Amino acid sequence: MFAHLLLDWRRRRLLRKAPPGPMREYLDRPLPRPGSEWRTVEFLALDLETTGLDYRKDAILSVGHVTLRGGRIELASADHRVVSIVGAIPEASAVIHQITDDQAALGEDLALVLGDLLGVLAGKVLIAHHAHVETSFIGRACRKVYGVGLLVPVVDTQVLAQRQFERRQIAYKGSDVRLHALGERYNLPRYAAHNALYDALSAAELFLAQAASLSDGRALPLRDLLA
Amino acid sequence: MRSGGPDRYQGYPMDVELIEIRDYLASHPPFDLLPGAALDRLPRKLAVRYFRRGTPFPPQGQGDTPQIYILRRGAVELRNAGGELLGKLAEGDICPLHCQLEGAPTGYVGVTVEDTLVYELPCTELAALRERHEAFAQHFDHSVAQRLRKAIDTLKEGPGTGVRLMTVRVGDLIGSHLVAATPQASIREAARIMTEHRVSSLIIMDGERLAGMITDRDLRSRCIVAGLSPEEPVSRIMTDKLHTTSTASLGFQALIAMTRLNVHHLPVMEDGRVVGVVSTSDFVRIQSANSVYLVGDIHKAKSLEVLIQISAKVPELQVQLATGGATADQVGQAVSAITDALTSRLLEMAEADLGPPPVPYVWMAGGSQARREQSSHSDQDNALLIADHMKPEDDAWFAALAKRVNDGLNACGYVYCPGEVMASNPKWRQPMRMWRKYFTNWIERPDPMALMLASVFFDLRPIRDPEGMFEELHEHVLSHSQANRIFVAYLTANAIKQRPPLGFFRNFVVIHGGEHDQTFDLKRRGTVPVIDMARVHALAAGLPEVNTLERIAAAAAHGSLSQEGAANLTDAMELIGTLRIRHQGQQLRRGEAADNFLAPDALSPLERGHLRDAFVLINSMQESLAQRYQAGRFT
Repeated sequence: MFAHLLLDWRRRRLLRKAPPGPMREYLDRPLPRPGSEWRTVEFLALDLETTGLDYRKDAILSVGHVTLRGGRIELASADHRVVSIVGAIPEASAVIHQITDDQAALGEDLALVLGDLLGVLAGKVLIAHHAHVETSFIGRACRKVYGVGLLVPVVDTQVLAQRQFERRQIAYKGSDVRLHALGERYNLPRYAAHNALYDALSAAELFLAQAASLSDGRALPLRDLLA
Repeated sequence: MRSGGPDRYQGYPMDVELIEIRDYLASHPPFDLLPGAALDRLPRKLAVRYFRRGTPFPPQGQGDTPQIYILRRGAVELRNAGGELLGKLAEGDICPLHCQLEGAPTGYVGVTVEDTLVYELPCTELAALRERHEAFAQHFDHSVAQRLRKAIDTLKEGPGTGVRLMTVRVGDLIGSHLVAATPQASIREAARIMTEHRVSSLIIMDGERLAGMITDRDLRSRCIVAGLSPEEPVSRIMTDKLHTTSTASLGFQALIAMTRLNVHHLPVMEDGRVVGVVSTSDFVRIQSANSVYLVGDIHKAKSLEVLIQISAKVPELQVQLATGGATADQVGQAVSAITDALTSRLLEMAEADLGPPPVPYVWMAGGSQARREQSSHSDQDNALLIADHMKPEDDAWFAALAKRVNDGLNACGYVYCPGEVMASNPKWRQPMRMWRKYFTNWIERPDPMALMLASVFFDLRPIRDPEGMFEELHEHVLSHSQANRIFVAYLTANAIKQRPPLGFFRNFVVIHGGEHDQTFDLKRRGTVPVIDMARVHALAAGLPEVNTLERIAAAAAHGSLSQEGAANLTDAMELIGTLRIRHQGQQLRRGEAADNFLAPDALSPLERGHLRDAFVLINSMQESLAQRYQAGRFT
């Protein structure tokens, strides 16, 4: 409860600092209350593809996300956006994501994609697998574009998985808490495509499975899921 | 959300974003019936939900709008109010029960039996799709039975070479005018007509009535060789008890009949009148290698070595028939006809060595050969029925006969029966009075052993029976079984014990481990339940038929099985049997041994759907059989 008060206090403080536009509209929406039953909360599962793992040096290549409402993933909300980047893509990540320089050049301006993202993220909880990548890259982009960082409650499906292993006192390796390994554990579909949207969808499905497992028929407050 | 122009998505068009979900739907019925554009739009109308194992399905309440559910992962069991299992849903299945479709069953309670991920589609969207796409709508209108019948039609059309034989009608094979003579015409006159018209057979007509037929062979053997004057009337050499076929019959059916009867000509009837003759040479144009020629070769064979060579062609024949689109019934008829011929020839050769039999006997085939449902080189099941006046010392002759034939069949690829149900086993080489006693015991005091033997000995057919002794035994069996309700009830309980799978589950249907890992047994779980049910019907009503489809038809004619039930059972048997034959055909073509173990992955989702329809029908027929013969008391 205290964490939420702190978060909300920061939200209101940032709201005063944020320039008019997407960020101010985003911060104007109250954050979901941690005591709420998880099914009444709206979530946005997000995945980024980037040129590398260092948010200070690397760039966002594409953004994929999908909304969860009422315990359902709404596929109508699925969105996949390619971001245009300045400079060549390092060869290794181009191979993984199958995005070429030409395609990236056809992408959209990061500010446009970011503004749209804040529009759908407002009032929601962010879901991501190993969420540090998403929060750090989006946070840096926000600071660059709006002068303030990203303030959002986060569910990290990797952290949830680690907690579950630890609670059951099961030893696990790094490879056990990867998105696809966990998907298999919960009998989830496996997608052949490796892009931001399918990874966001996989994270959303993993989240539904984890929430179902944690609630086990009882009410489950959002706070038990937050990172 | 999207603010850019269409150019933005070059290389990333909107439609490909959820293409994996689109493709998943496109490969599962009934969504495979939707046009591409409608499929492209479908994923965005879905929501994804996840249920843990053991959750009520679909979840109740929450003011949900009604949805259909498409199972992407997991499994659901549906039970009625009494807790009885009604059906199972597996991956790719849809559950449309909550869209209030006409004829949809009500009163279901579902529960997930695995962790399950589903796609929801609002009923309003389903209704819109049904309105716009007729083929898709029909999927929901058609009953399970109708869908199955359509599937069989598609299977029969099949790819491959021998298709014409399956589709051509006998009426299309025969010439336009009938060549005939009267019974009073002289043999010389008949021969002249045949020469003039260049035909190998001649129909003999008494006015409008079919009186008989002569062939080239009759002219040689019954006239010239027998020293009969060519001035004698042709009626002296004609065959007057004739099997016939009709113009509407499929070429294949006529060919099967000729194979079974070992004749080369069949008169063709239309509206009760003879209109022509179809001969084996008419088929040569269509298919060069077929069972008729194999049977002909078998009758001419002089040694076991030759028989072994000929029987090595049986798998090839089965492959040919299967690729030609033959149904399981047709393949079974053809293969069994060859086994019959081999058995007869082995018996002739044994008698030639051993001398004439001391007393009359019947060589009986049991199991699949008796039912004419054999696939290439199954195990042999046979027995000897000997006249009651045999003396104890006569058994040596019959033991020698049995050994030669059993060994011969084994050498030809029909391996020894693992249960020793063979004439070489003294237990199954007995005089008539012992056989009567055996059957009386099995029927009046049914026990597990009797039920195990039932599949062999209650499907029995004489292969060699010159004195017509078999009829007496068969009548004894049928009159006893018909009169004995407890026996029928036991048989029913046995027939419904093996339930067909109601879904395809990784953990449910398939065999785990061993040689047949991750497959399921098409025979044990598919055709055997139908065969068992048909046997119950035949024995309960005293019907003499042995072939499963013939038993079903006879039971329907007798009234103990509804017309609809008979049609459904026939369809289920044909579909499962045909998939089995096709599976074996593929194995044989790869040079592997044929078996009945099919991996569900080898079927398309559509075929899996049809197979499930067949299983559902079998299951409901088992229910009604149980009700009819009160099997409940013994299960």
